[in-house]
Amino acid sequence: MKKYIKHVFAGFLLLGFSMPALAQSADEVFRAVGSPENPKVQISFNRYYTPEGLAAITKKIADAHPNLVKRVSIGKSYEGREMWMLQITNYQEGNADRKPGFYIDGNIHSNEIQGAEISIYTAWYLTEQYGHIDYITQMLDERVFYILPSLNPDARYNYMKEPNTGSSPRSGMIPLDDDRDGLVDEDQPDDLDGDGSITSMRRKNPNGDFIADPMDPRRMIQIGPDDKVDPSIQRYEMLGSEGIDNDGDGAVNEDRIGYYDPNRDWAWKWQPDYIQRGALRYPFSVPENRNVADFVLAHPNIAGGQSYHNSGGMILRGPGAEEDISTYNRADIRIYDAIGRKGEEIMPGYRYLTVYKDLYSVFGGELDWFYGSRGIYTFSNEIFTRFAYFKNNEGGRDLSYKVDTDLLFGDAFKAYETYDHPTYGEIEIGGFKKNFGRATPGFMLEEELHRNMAFTLYHAYHMPRLSIADVKEEDLGGGLRQITALIKNDRLMPTHASQDLKYKIERPDYIMIEGVEVQAGMIVDDEDRNVTTEQKVNPEKLEIANIPGNSIVKVRWIVKGRGTPKITVDSAKGGLVTK
Amino acid sequence: MRQFTRKLLTLGGLCLMGLYSIAQDYPTLQQQAQRLQSLANGNNAVSLSSLTKTEGGKDIWMLSIGTGDLDNKPAMAIVGGVEGSHLLGVEMAIRFAENLVNDRSDALEQTTFYIFPNMSPDAYEQYFANLKWERSGNAKATDDDRDGRNGEDPFDDLNGDGMITTMRVADVTGDWVMHPADARVMIKADKSKGEKGAYHYFTEGKDNDMDGAFNEDGPGGIHFNKSLTYQFPYFTPGAGEHPVSEVENRALLDLLYTKFNIYGIFTFGPGNNLSSPWKYNRAGASKRVVTSVLREDAGLNKLASDAYNKTVGLKDAPASGAQGGDFFQWAYFHFGRLSFGTPGWWAPMVEEAEGQEPNKDKNREVNFLRWAEQEGLSNYFVEWTEIEHPDFPGKKVEVGGIAPFRMMNPPVSMIDEVAEKHNEFILQLASLQSDVELVNLQTEEVSKGLTRITVDLYNPGTLPTHSQMGERSKWLRRVKVELKLGNGQEIVSGRKIELISSIQGDESRTLTWLVRGKGSLEISAGAAHAGNDQLTVNLK
Repeated sequence: MKKYIKHVFAGFLLLGFSMPALAQSADEVFRAVGSPENPKVQISFNRYYTPEGLAAITKKIADAHPNLVKRVSIGKSYEGREMWMLQITNYQEGNADRKPGFYIDGNIHSNEIQGAEISIYTAWYLTEQYGHIDYITQMLDERVFYILPSLNPDARYNYMKEPNTGSSPRSGMIPLDDDRDGLVDEDQPDDLDGDGSITSMRRKNPNGDFIADPMDPRRMIQIGPDDKVDPSIQRYEMLGSEGIDNDGDGAVNEDRIGYYDPNRDWAWKWQPDYIQRGALRYPFSVPENRNVADFVLAHPNIAGGQSYHNSGGMILRGPGAEEDISTYNRADIRIYDAIGRKGEEIMPGYRYLTVYKDLYSVFGGELDWFYGSRGIYTFSNEIFTRFAYFKNNEGGRDLSYKVDTDLLFGDAFKAYETYDHPTYGEIEIGGFKKNFGRATPGFMLEEELHRNMAFTLYHAYHMPRLSIADVKEEDLGGGLRQITALIKNDRLMPTHASQDLKYKIERPDYIMIEGVEVQAGMIVDDEDRNVTTEQKVNPEKLEIANIPGNSIVKVRWIVKGRGTPKITVDSAKGGLVTK
Repeated sequence: MRQFTRKLLTLGGLCLMGLYSIAQDYPTLQQQAQRLQSLANGNNAVSLSSLTKTEGGKDIWMLSIGTGDLDNKPAMAIVGGVEGSHLLGVEMAIRFAENLVNDRSDALEQTTFYIFPNMSPDAYEQYFANLKWERSGNAKATDDDRDGRNGEDPFDDLNGDGMITTMRVADVTGDWVMHPADARVMIKADKSKGEKGAYHYFTEGKDNDMDGAFNEDGPGGIHFNKSLTYQFPYFTPGAGEHPVSEVENRALLDLLYTKFNIYGIFTFGPGNNLSSPWKYNRAGASKRVVTSVLREDAGLNKLASDAYNKTVGLKDAPASGAQGGDFFQWAYFHFGRLSFGTPGWWAPMVEEAEGQEPNKDKNREVNFLRWAEQEGLSNYFVEWTEIEHPDFPGKKVEVGGIAPFRMMNPPVSMIDEVAEKHNEFILQLASLQSDVELVNLQTEEVSKGLTRITVDLYNPGTLPTHSQMGERSKWLRRVKVELKLGNGQEIVSGRKIELISSIQGDESRTLTWLVRGKGSLEISAGAAHAGNDQLTVNLK
């Protein structure tokens, strides 16, 4: 009987743990500055979430904040997962899809996982701080955020739940024939020791060119051509990633998951695989990317974009390819520079860089499509840098071992253990686990998420913000009035990037007047010298190519009649304003 | 008996009606579908499927014609209708299929054919519409001048003849003059020779949106032949917001990417690398983004071109209508297949008749008019007629010009001959393909239970197993040689699986193994697009 009661009790405990954690009573907590004090949705930001975990969390956020969040699926992934997007704004104010929009995604490379948590953190922070911090409140009143935590949910799942290295699969899950032998994904790495990570294989070999560091058996040292090694010291040969020759063709692990690179699939200056390794069949033949492209094409209000990768601590802008230098011109680079440099301050250890010259020259990247094809200012951040471990750039090659010992207490490294390999005989398997190196360790994760969000909010803050700053009327006599309106954009970004202006990507901005009889309409180029450009057709709906950042545009109408004019500014990226 | 006769009569009548309609004019989409269906219904080697429906609700048809394991036999794809106003290309593709199935089915033993007769059915329909104009775009509404309004300045049929031709406006500020050999044809004044323009020259219509441009934003649509990835013309009318944005482009590419047996693609369209082959350009071929045919492949193109000119015999081809985003360049530069294209027909160059000025610059329009006249054709030219034009008050405005579709599409009665020659050429091309064989098998007993096997892998074709571009493409398989061992056998030397990048035409590769054991084993070799072979080896 006693035993029975004990079981029931344990049952309750389990039940308690699986129920959603509730907010604590106000008595029990004290606000840490800048963080939600007692959030409606409790999320642990010292671990990562599978796509299923992300789906559950986004639902919680949406359920808890119905006036601020819409959770929609923008389509299905290759394996049939819903791609959940959180659309966040104050839905009580204005038309959501007419507000300047900011697009965020993470995890296009499946092993580069933090972007999903940054997305979740951002959604959580915006919703929990709305009404508490004016900056956030205003942001959600005036802007809309389109947040897609994972652009590659299928392979995110694979990365987390199947054996991988820290750098795999990277691809999506469409099986391809990497070695062109007519079979797909037939020789993947194998988790021979069953620890969930693909690590390294080494074999004792008197003629090998490695030894284990006598001070640190985790570390393999390559023997240089003129190094003398005492014959008593055990030599090793390294045999590559953990695996066997599954298809018996003499090669090990030569046809892994995928392989294509979802970030070589975007439609700006796209090139095929033989030119740009990793491209799939044609732009947006990766189904997850197509969902995003269709969404972006249907949302011309998106003015800013951010994608999160890892790692290395970089804030990247295009061009991706050296051949595409001319696409990025000076006017737009000034805007990129201003935001990118702020990022370097906000995220210590991160550097603001240009893809083609600081990373690699590459076609078909997401940020190039957003900018080149849609005129959307977009960055990719490479999350996490070794700088973060000890807040300096020291440590060299040994840093990882030191971190494993001093900060992670050995959780990052799987010690070498012997294994009987079908091809190689007795070998040893060991090495760093997949969750070390690129993914931020748990104890630093919340800070990483917050700083990246802060950078992105700064970017979002500087999307165009339009207002009708002043309307002047002058009686011209003879029943005619002259109405001059001053339209102001008080943020960094113009309504049309210069790439947009060059190719007329987005329609012009309209400045319209109603309630009066318009006789003539014009753009005022220089009021003092009375230089104007008349629009002869449809003067009541003036077409303005652009409203530049931190600047004004003046327009004028000559009108008849006594009515009170109503002026409307209608800009795809700058929003809708009426006075 | 009576009933039977009646049936026969009806059948005969139907056939006659069919022939009659074919002979008179280009077929409607419905007539095309009927011909494709009747081809598929009557023959086991033919299957017809619809890849998708376009924005305009039209089927994209695909014929698969082949025997046996047709998807693992070297294959050619034949594509028509890449340009919507090129009706001939559609007809030629269908005629090839009909000819192949009815008279040349022997070719199917060696080769599979996938035929996509009409990639632009939405545009094709414009030929049969009340208002005829040369349309390239599908039914998707587009903002061709990117001003935020869709379709606000279409063509206008000013002279009410049901066709869109051109208009000329007498004005000293214009840049156009009449051609010295034929005043019906307008050309640009050559200012370097001191000529002065006397006309503005536009397509027929009004400036409906009063923006100063004529007919710059009509029904629009995305052009199939402008929407592929090779040198995609960003932000130009008809290209779409990104390459391969349309369902018909995607459906075709998705299908082609599953057919690893396709080694060559033949396109009926404006692009022409058969009258004269693509020229190799070292700089263009060696950059990261390749813009020239590769050196070895230029040789293959030359070979095909020579054969084409010999077999088809069309001379004085107009300049190739290749353009950014087109299909036939995509097929080579991005899909890695051998790609050949031709419009299939153009008006031959004619001598001037007595009393006519010589056509010194070989102006194509002047030549076309003279040719049409000599052939006794009608309705190929709309005589210039003066009209009142609201945008040019007080000015002399005339509407006229060559009737739409005529320059690219000959009268149907002339198709028989060109179709026959093109059919012949395509089959010639197919006969050059690679089809690898294992030959000269030798087995030697090296020691007891140890056999040395030597065999040559031979390509009896004229074409290589992989063009130079094909070698680079991830989307063509390598030639795979595999030793399938029997029980208790073991390879002592040599590879169980070997992948070979390319074997040139009439070249071979020697393969050798040492195998221990008894009994028999199998060697298989090949790739879907280069042919397959296998041998059984009895160990000594």
